[in-house]
Amino acid sequence: MRIDRSAGPALLSLALATAPQLAAAQDLVFAPGEDTRFDWESYEALKQTDLSGQTLTVFGPWLGPDKALIDSVVAYFAAATGADVRYSGSDSFEQQIVIDTGAGSPPDIAIFPQPGLVADLAARGHIAPLGQETADWVLENYAAGPSWVDLGTHQGPDGADAFYGLIYKVDLKSLVWFVPENFEDAGYEIPETMEDLKALTQQIVDEGETPWCIGLGSGAATGWPATDWVEDLMLRLNTPEEYDAWTRGELAFDDPKVLAAIEEFGWFVRNDDFVQGGAGAVASTDFRDSPKGLFASPPGCYMHKQASFIPSFFPEGTEVGLDADFFYFPAYEEQDLGKPVLGGGTTFAITRDTEAARAFIEFLKSPIAHEVWMAQSGFLTPLKTANPEVYGDPTLRKMADILLAADTFRFDGSDLMPGAVGAGAFWTGMIDYAGGADAAAVGAMIRKTWDSLN
Amino acid sequence: MEGMAGTRSRLTWAVNLAALLLVVLWTIPTLGLLISSFRDRDQIAASGWWRAALPAEQNEIFRAPPPETAVPEGPLWVLEGNVFGEAGGSVAAFGLSAREPKAFAPGETATGRAGDTLTVESDGAFRITYPEAPEAGRGDRIFVTTTTPPRLTLENYETVIVAQGLGRAFLNTFTVTIPATVIPILIAAFAAYALAWMRFPGRALILACIVGLLVVPLQMTLIPLLRLHNAIGLDKGYLGIWLAHTAFGLPMAVFLLRNYIAGLPREIIESARVDGATEFEIFRRIVLPLSFPALASFAIFQFLWVWNDLLVATVFLGNAPDQLVMTGVLRELLGSLGGEWEILAASAFVSISMPLLVFFGLQRYLVRGLLAGSVKGG
Amino acid sequence: MEQLAFASATIVIGIFGCVLWFWGSNWLLDRALPPRGPNAARNIGRAARVRPWLFLGPALLVLAVYLVWPVVLSVWLSLHDASGQRFVGLGNWRWLIADDKFRESMRNNLLWLLIVPAASTLFGLIAASLTDRLRWGDLAKSLIFMPMAISFIGASVIWKFIYDFRGEGQAQIGLLNAVVEGLGGAPQTWLTLSPWNNLMLMAVLIWIQTGFAMVILSAALRGIPEETVEAAVLDGASPLQIFFKIKVPQIWGTIAVVWTTITILVLKVFDIVLAMTNGQWGTQVLANLMFDWMFRGNDTGRASAVALVIMLLVTPIMIWNIRTARREGM
Repeated sequence: MRIDRSAGPALLSLALATAPQLAAAQDLVFAPGEDTRFDWESYEALKQTDLSGQTLTVFGPWLGPDKALIDSVVAYFAAATGADVRYSGSDSFEQQIVIDTGAGSPPDIAIFPQPGLVADLAARGHIAPLGQETADWVLENYAAGPSWVDLGTHQGPDGADAFYGLIYKVDLKSLVWFVPENFEDAGYEIPETMEDLKALTQQIVDEGETPWCIGLGSGAATGWPATDWVEDLMLRLNTPEEYDAWTRGELAFDDPKVLAAIEEFGWFVRNDDFVQGGAGAVASTDFRDSPKGLFASPPGCYMHKQASFIPSFFPEGTEVGLDADFFYFPAYEEQDLGKPVLGGGTTFAITRDTEAARAFIEFLKSPIAHEVWMAQSGFLTPLKTANPEVYGDPTLRKMADILLAADTFRFDGSDLMPGAVGAGAFWTGMIDYAGGADAAAVGAMIRKTWDSLN
Repeated sequence: MEGMAGTRSRLTWAVNLAALLLVVLWTIPTLGLLISSFRDRDQIAASGWWRAALPAEQNEIFRAPPPETAVPEGPLWVLEGNVFGEAGGSVAAFGLSAREPKAFAPGETATGRAGDTLTVESDGAFRITYPEAPEAGRGDRIFVTTTTPPRLTLENYETVIVAQGLGRAFLNTFTVTIPATVIPILIAAFAAYALAWMRFPGRALILACIVGLLVVPLQMTLIPLLRLHNAIGLDKGYLGIWLAHTAFGLPMAVFLLRNYIAGLPREIIESARVDGATEFEIFRRIVLPLSFPALASFAIFQFLWVWNDLLVATVFLGNAPDQLVMTGVLRELLGSLGGEWEILAASAFVSISMPLLVFFGLQRYLVRGLLAGSVKGG
Repeated sequence: MEQLAFASATIVIGIFGCVLWFWGSNWLLDRALPPRGPNAARNIGRAARVRPWLFLGPALLVLAVYLVWPVVLSVWLSLHDASGQRFVGLGNWRWLIADDKFRESMRNNLLWLLIVPAASTLFGLIAASLTDRLRWGDLAKSLIFMPMAISFIGASVIWKFIYDFRGEGQAQIGLLNAVVEGLGGAPQTWLTLSPWNNLMLMAVLIWIQTGFAMVILSAALRGIPEETVEAAVLDGASPLQIFFKIKVPQIWGTIAVVWTTITILVLKVFDIVLAMTNGQWGTQVLANLMFDWMFRGNDTGRASAVALVIMLLVTPIMIWNIRTARREGM
């Protein structure tokens, strides 16, 4: 969010703010043609599409600094095609988009944090299919292409599957954050296998310290970090096909395989010695507050498992890669299932089929659209044609390497499940489990909810 | 309030004390937020707001300057500085390792693994010595237990007030709120009078239905109403949101006003009717002025509700930057994942200033005891 | 600036329009059925039958379109499936009756309905009567009213700073736990302790609604004719007696209105529950359940069914209102 520092007293800023806003081409973050790492050809090619006079409304969940970042990407589209592009964000995106599409006043492009909602709206005919051509393009140009095509394919109102959503910004979830200097001071080594990780956990406890910071609280969404844990463990204990069956509902929630993953999570989270604040605090600790333990003095904990967006909640001035770093949440050596990676991403879909909307989706296929954000912060992409040297910081580069090299990549399971389960029963069930409930009972409860859906 | 002199002052004391207790109890939670709005995020996470004015004792980690900036001094290479920088403070203990951050007292010298030494004084001055020319790299971490004077800041308010688009949003909110408060009052006042003082079949049923409509959950109405607006061409705009707010506020308005108007003395109305005044005149000249306290009460609540509302605004008015109301702009400051409590605190207080002003302004009408003395004499 | 002009124009046109309708229609009625002349009696009768509808007309129209029609729609939706397309008859209702969370919500709502309106009205009454007598009454009123003026998000952050929990040994940033620790106890995760967490959530709504009750009851108290109080004082009544025997009975109608309104608001409350516990740990309430099914579960059928239950719960109040209105006679 741009802050107008030149404005002095509030009154002055009030007056300035009410002056007519110039709907101008914003300054492009990177001047076209200057840095050779960027793919300026795709930008030039974009200029052939002329959309002057047309407006494009984009609606998404990003606010504040994230909004500034998407604005910077969108500015290139606006500058090249001459369209008037407006991005607006909301913290109650899901609510708003359901209302807007249901009432017939949708934005042109909608950015969905979870694909489950895309599925619902596609089935009701509120989303325009992107076409087989785009699906084929994703198949070829995204690393682990088939996964991304599957994620964007949903049933339409006629019952037939079609490709509806293009995934643009990706988050990596199988990461454990730690403070390298703390590890150095204590003489710990980064664990390469899950067995080593568990041994390290025990070792830290034996030395009188606390190994993990875990926080499941998130206001109305409390419980989602726990689902990430369970999904990562599911991927490490079972084959990718079994994981897929689970997210589709074919593998029941109270199946022994799922319960085994839940109980593995319990090994970490239900032990009072393993978690900062004790097992009872886990559900009440906000996920945004929990990483602070890593940076306390003496350290409140040594490790924190969380997705790639968590650095924005580290204390101010923390340099990622130096003060804080991450390692891959390891796989079991004895399971021999390779190195699976769990991630999430935002889906771009056309909610009002206009020429500008179609052109925007084409824009998102071009390398420049990805590179502009890659060069700033907090953005990962599986696009093979985007130049990885453009990444703004080495940490992102490291994450991108994990992403591109993963032999198995799977999307966040709770995002794939129907809303009532993936954004409801699964979350609440995990909270109950963290609070001491029996895994089988929790699994049965979630299964019952799933079975009862219309 | 009258009474014997002695009991009167005792009573006044009791009343004052009880009122004070009530007010304090009610204000403490808000006070917490107010104080938090002057602190920064790390402070809020580190200590309770009641400690904001106290010197904070914390374990902090300070990073020394890069080793290659060390200056040769005799046989050693030396780095000097102060952990506090410009601000003051005092050091109670320090350490070299994360495991033992309090191992040393100020003035002592700690020796690291590579033969380098660290000394920290109680005013924060530190001195690092290296036996040989140090390699380039990051500065070492210095762990200090500090007592820093309280830090209060106006930064949060600054961030909120100069937020982009706030001025425009402020105007938008006004544009939405004033009509949305005034129009329901008008419509409801007439309806309330009819329900209170006119006889017609179905009166009781209609009143009961209006009371029942108070409970209609807002969420159930949004999609059908927006669809209706789109269908008749209103789309998203001010007219739509005024109508929506009017409708949502009507049940409460009718209910409150009707109760008040029904409580007006019958004689006044009857005698006016006998005098030959039309219903409309009775309403305009007698009932409306006498109902000011009720009108003012409802106006306050409706103003409040519309001012603080965001959902109805984003649904019926829109989410685009030039349409956004103030609550929307303030929410934008919070970032996608939330968690900026200090910004939230400051924005809550920036936003509350107008409703409080309205409350103060309309208080006069609430206080006017219009009926006092007006009954005697008819 | 043209926006302000637009808004001002609307207010003026709106007021003008309303006045035009009310005055105009009345004038027309009086012209068509003059209360004088040969048919005076008959005209007055007829006019009196028509007039109430002129006064009520705009309100009824707006309410019918904006509130009644969505209710009808909800009934229709509750008989259909998640997307509103396939008819499922009583399927949603059968699910509702069997659902654990629904039962829990009903129990909790009952608790809320018993405690919150009573507490808010009581505190509001106390606040109103106390602050009326003070020199600093206006300030006191504003401070007690302030919770109402703060948006719900602000309120939930405020109470987060009260109920927050940190592990033992860490600095508490929640006031309640700080007090408990100060008194020697161990900090608790208050919002997870069933059933007390319900009371914790109710405290927030009581804190907010007391301002509402206070404002309305204050206006009512001020409307009590002085003579009645003077007479009682001359008879030697104590202040408490005056309060209970003279003042309260005279504002009983208003107390009932406040109680009713808060009761209905309690039925609708969901923001507090959503933001602080999201219905976890046994705190689910009906309105939050409806919200959950509507926007998380994307099931308009189930959400509508829950919404209808909420609306049905208000029927006793409606019946009571009818009875009272009929008794008023006139």
